[in-house]
Amino acid sequence: MRNSIKVGKWEIKRNIKNKSFIISLFLTPLIFVFFATVPNLLSGNDYDTTTTVYVNDELGTYEVIEPIIEENNMMNWDLTETNEELPTVQHRFEEEPNSAYIQIDEHTAENGVVTYVKGDDVSSQFSNQLRIIEQPLKQLQLQNANLTEEQLELISTPILFEAADGNEESQASQEEITTNEIGMVDPYESGIPAAFAGLVLFSIVITGMMIFQSASQEKKDKVAEIILSSVTPGELMQGKILGYFVLGLIQVGVWMLFAIPIAIYMLDDVPVLQHLLVPETLILVFIAILGYLLFAALFVGLGATLEDASSGSNFQGMVMMLPFIPVVIIGPVLSDPSGIVAQVGSYIPFTSPTILILRLAILDEWPWVEVLIGITILLVSIWLFMKLAGKIFKVGILIYGKNATPQEIWKWLRA
Amino acid sequence: MEAVLSVEGLEKSFKNTKVLHNITFDVHKGEIMAILGPNGAGKSTTIRNIMGIMYPDDGSVTFHNHQGSEIPRHKIGYLPEERGLYKNVKVMDIILYFAELKDYPIKKAKERALQYLEKFGLEGKENVSVEELSKGMGQKVQFIGSIIHEPELLILDEPFSGLDPVSQDVFKQEIKELANNGTAILLSSHQMNLVEEMCDRLFMINRGQKVIYGSLKDVKSKYANFKCTILGDNSAQQLESINQVTRVEQDGYSSVLYLEQGIELPSWLHTLPNNLDIVELKVDRISLHEIFVDVALGRSIAEEVGGTYAQ
Repeated sequence: MRNSIKVGKWEIKRNIKNKSFIISLFLTPLIFVFFATVPNLLSGNDYDTTTTVYVNDELGTYEVIEPIIEENNMMNWDLTETNEELPTVQHRFEEEPNSAYIQIDEHTAENGVVTYVKGDDVSSQFSNQLRIIEQPLKQLQLQNANLTEEQLELISTPILFEAADGNEESQASQEEITTNEIGMVDPYESGIPAAFAGLVLFSIVITGMMIFQSASQEKKDKVAEIILSSVTPGELMQGKILGYFVLGLIQVGVWMLFAIPIAIYMLDDVPVLQHLLVPETLILVFIAILGYLLFAALFVGLGATLEDASSGSNFQGMVMMLPFIPVVIIGPVLSDPSGIVAQVGSYIPFTSPTILILRLAILDEWPWVEVLIGITILLVSIWLFMKLAGKIFKVGILIYGKNATPQEIWKWLRA
Repeated sequence: MEAVLSVEGLEKSFKNTKVLHNITFDVHKGEIMAILGPNGAGKSTTIRNIMGIMYPDDGSVTFHNHQGSEIPRHKIGYLPEERGLYKNVKVMDIILYFAELKDYPIKKAKERALQYLEKFGLEGKENVSVEELSKGMGQKVQFIGSIIHEPELLILDEPFSGLDPVSQDVFKQEIKELANNGTAILLSSHQMNLVEEMCDRLFMINRGQKVIYGSLKDVKSKYANFKCTILGDNSAQQLESINQVTRVEQDGYSSVLYLEQGIELPSWLHTLPNNLDIVELKVDRISLHEIFVDVALGRSIAEEVGGTYAQ
């Protein structure tokens, strides 16, 4: 173990001092920030600049509309009530290009038509954003239509879908999905720990790739045999896994330094830290770490079979793709997080870290039994893969000048 | 002399081919012991079995002065045949890493590293990145890495391969000095001329089997017979009929006569027939190199003289 720590320390030191690691460490979050912000900047300045919206309201809906718009943090409108008629405000748009005018009058109540004019600088999204006042206006129309209370209620009640069980006793557990319910639960509450765990998983899959590079490079540089005169192959392998694990944590740490302030700034109503520092985060991160150990074992063994990563055979290429399998089943899992695909995905070691984290983020009630089974399968697979990787690593790291074939690897595994 | 390492009855097979047959030898304190043999003879395999990088099918490797079955890795320096260094690190960092792996005090290692860098003409290179070094410089750094922790036993697999003559001399000098200071040295090579000048004892191996094992002096007096080179137009038949000639090699105008062991040179010269065409005549001893070539090709020396040893 002491030797593993020495190897681990060396791998950390070697990478930390390496320019390309440092550059990618800081560049990755910057690229994320870049892609997150630039399209918004290009598509308009909805976030930054306030559009002055003049509302000429003859129906008395202004009191209803105003709080709706103010509460919506996607829209940056400065509402002003006015009595001016459309022709008189026309000239104003030349002086205030970032302003708009909405007329709500009898015409609206009767035909459902809202007339608006906008200046040149107002975002093209404006007409879409206007839809937010559709609901109160509709409400007004219905009230004006002299409907009875029952009729009103009938119209405004959303359609209910009931999943009823054939078995009557289980009626109590029937699920009710109303069209209104979506968005009722705070998506940030479970989303933030999951996003964090996802980030950990992403980072460690990346560092897992670095392990692969490192093992392959060790072969290429022919330094393995020198190192193996001081440590055993098992210690070298463990040291690498340990070292890159810490590197992955350093990476996550640096990214969090960027991500947390940005998240707090962007989601200023959401208590980010409060959502992050919950016990759930620990479990999700634990799952992510298990995922790392699994892929680290896989990659360190694989790296030992390849001298040159670019000349790997289809076999090695396929193994490299294993961490990305969850992408294939992410659709079905999202649409039915308790469905059969999601369950099976939680039990297959290569998909379970991602799928478990995803499901736990979506589901309000955690399926503890499934989570425990998934984690157990993961633990067993990690143990198994570490054993197998050790066997491959021991032989593979000392083979020079060629890549190992699947047949050879099979032989080493059986040895 | 005190044995540091004993190898006894080493056997190893790859698939169904036996690559090592009953290999037995000792390495003593303060001596240079050479394993010699052609490519594929089993030199590196023997060394890898000693280092625990491979495990023998049979036989034992004993490190004296050490209890337990563990290989005393921190007492051994090893320079493998396939060797290299991490690319994007500083020279000093990698030497200190090797020292740390051997549990050698870092401060002392640093001093020694600086001394050796200076000795090998690499002063001021300690903060240079490894990828900026030439191949020869890299080899020197690897060598320093293998001796930085003052090993009791130093194992060098083909230490001279890829070195220019000047660097070869530097290495040779250093290896001799280490031996004089009491380090037991086991080195493998196929460059006989280099080894001939420095080794105390040798173990010649071919196709995984011992061919010759003994001190250089003994081997030389035993196997390094006289040979007589004659330039002239003579038939092989005629030359073979000369007394005490074991073998004749002819290459056009030049003929080499290999003579029997323990021959009296002046009286043998008298037995040369008068009708021989002699433009030029030269008599000298067979070098280790020639013994080696003969062994590699499995020719007369191994068959006739060494035959009894090869079994």
